[in-house]
Amino acid sequence: MATASLSAFTRGIGRYALVAALAAVFATFAALAPGFLSGANLVSVLVNNFALLAIVAVAMTFAVSAGGIDLSVGTAIDFASFAFVSLVLAGQPIPLAALGGLAGGALVGLFNAVLIAGIGISPFLATLGTLFVGRSVQQLLTNGGNPVYLPPAGVPEAFRFLGHGSVAGLPVPLLVAALVIAGAWLVLSRTRFGRVVLATGIQASVVRYSGIRLSRVTAATYVLVSAIAAIVGLILTSTVTVYIPSSGNAFLLNAIGATFIGTTFDPHGRPNVPGTVLGVLLLGIVANGLLLSGLNFYWQQVGTGLLIFSVLAIGFANRKAAARA
Amino acid sequence: MLVDAPYIPPSVFGLEEKTSPEPEKSGPALGRRLATLALRGGSLAVFAGVLVFFSIAAPFFLTVGNIGNVLGQSAIAGVLAIGLTIVVIAGGSNVVTGGIDLSLAANMGLSAAVYATLAQAGQGDAVAILGALGTGLAIGAVNAAAVTLAGIVPLLATLAVMNVVAGLELVLTQNTVVPASGEFLSTLSASGPFGVPVLAYVLLGFTLVVAAIVQYTPLGLRLYAVGEYPDAARAAGLPVRSFVAGSFLASGLCGGFAGILSVSYLSGSTTGAGEMLLPVVVTALLGVVFSRRLVPTITGTLLSALFVGFLINGFQLLNISSTLVSGVQGLLILLVVSATTLLCREAV
Repeated sequence: MATASLSAFTRGIGRYALVAALAAVFATFAALAPGFLSGANLVSVLVNNFALLAIVAVAMTFAVSAGGIDLSVGTAIDFASFAFVSLVLAGQPIPLAALGGLAGGALVGLFNAVLIAGIGISPFLATLGTLFVGRSVQQLLTNGGNPVYLPPAGVPEAFRFLGHGSVAGLPVPLLVAALVIAGAWLVLSRTRFGRVVLATGIQASVVRYSGIRLSRVTAATYVLVSAIAAIVGLILTSTVTVYIPSSGNAFLLNAIGATFIGTTFDPHGRPNVPGTVLGVLLLGIVANGLLLSGLNFYWQQVGTGLLIFSVLAIGFANRKAAARA
Repeated sequence: MLVDAPYIPPSVFGLEEKTSPEPEKSGPALGRRLATLALRGGSLAVFAGVLVFFSIAAPFFLTVGNIGNVLGQSAIAGVLAIGLTIVVIAGGSNVVTGGIDLSLAANMGLSAAVYATLAQAGQGDAVAILGALGTGLAIGAVNAAAVTLAGIVPLLATLAVMNVVAGLELVLTQNTVVPASGEFLSTLSASGPFGVPVLAYVLLGFTLVVAAIVQYTPLGLRLYAVGEYPDAARAAGLPVRSFVAGSFLASGLCGGFAGILSVSYLSGSTTGAGEMLLPVVVTALLGVVFSRRLVPTITGTLLSALFVGFLINGFQLLNISSTLVSGVQGLLILLVVSATTLLCREAV
């Protein structure tokens, strides 16, 4: 974890690859992209490129830590967003609507939990199924996929707080992301539940033989994943004051990418919250830096892809070498 | 607790190796075989039931012309799903650590863009075809190298390649539609014998060839061995890595081929190829139920692609919103996988 010794650091060139990539990218953009180093821009990176993806990626880290994956994080985001918007439109107070949104997202996790822990379907297939069913449900709910707008004039100020507000000068989305990251790190590395989740990912049978009710832990994990992802639904809705069906899926591939880039940060190649956060930071800095450097928009995607690819390649090649040694 | 399942031993769990050969007694094995038969019969029955329902509800449904149309419309997704099936067979059915190719849809998009751009630049059909197939093959080669040489998990390797490829397509087309026409394309998009689209014949012919190779040759048998029991395959002297690399090359080629088909179907290359990805993944995974041993097969994937095609077509004929299709697909995959999982658990 974050307090790993220096020897572990030098042992794994994989870890070095991620940190080095981050440093190199940062230095490159600081030198080439005008305005990259300005305070306003760095804050913008954190708010626009980092905060939301970090929350989704941390949620994904839980699923991957438990040896699974959750392809339906976008569905949880959408359901949370839909429930939030609907409740606000129905005139409910904002805090209640926000809670309802969280519950709406957690519902997706409950569905996954039944499939994965109850029936025993592999997480990939279960959550892929959820993704498809969720897409249809949203289209049914919205008359074929029409966005649900909130009238900008009628939106209470409290509604905009999650997306636009700030506490002590810090933007709320960033604060929420920081809380989620810290909380997830504490849970995964400092609690019994977290240890069981990690152990499940390493060897589920051992957990079962230890007399732990594996299905309960797994069920709780997937509900937690969706509940965390649901937070993004709330922030997103509060920012743009509209619910667009199936829009949450935009986070999916980047969240998976960041989580697995993060695994190169661990000497054993396991998912970990600090690594995930570094992965998200890398993706965010690259996206922002490429934008500022005035590179053709379409080349930006190529650049990002190549960078992810090289970090993964170095990380995995190193892990393979370590396994052979 | 949230789930009422504390006393059920979750014997099939997530990433645990599912295919490990459990020693089975003859009794459960027989029961399992019967159950498997029921599941397979059941999925075919559902397929048949859906066809019968649509043909009663929409009289036009069961005409040669309409069936041909469905076949033709399924050609692109079918070819992609077959490519994915090859990778799944060679990589093993564990989707996270096993075989998967997420770059297929993007591959199709870039190959189509290459074809259309070459055609626009006044190149002949042959050059454009070679360009598209070469693009697909090159993408497959990158995937193969990333998985077998760099040792990246296929899910991630192909995810990263997908991003790069999708970006290259945008660079090439500037996110616009590139129209393309030519003698070859008109032949492909025309109607063949019996008024059935040529694309339908292409799909059937393609499936036939690939199925023959994968299911009826020693090469295909080895492909399954590499995927299901890599250790045994290695011990038997099979070059496991070459097979896995070959499967990615094959799927890359399928992507290029699908690209050509999509250029002919849409009279050019369009954006948004990435949206094909998840439907194709579901189609390939769903194909498992159409096989006797519940393993991925080429013909099973074809049936699965056609099933989805008929579903979309039937909904359109009945004027039911086609948005339900993705829900039905999702439910089907959940039902099928639940049934399979429960059956396997009973057998253990």
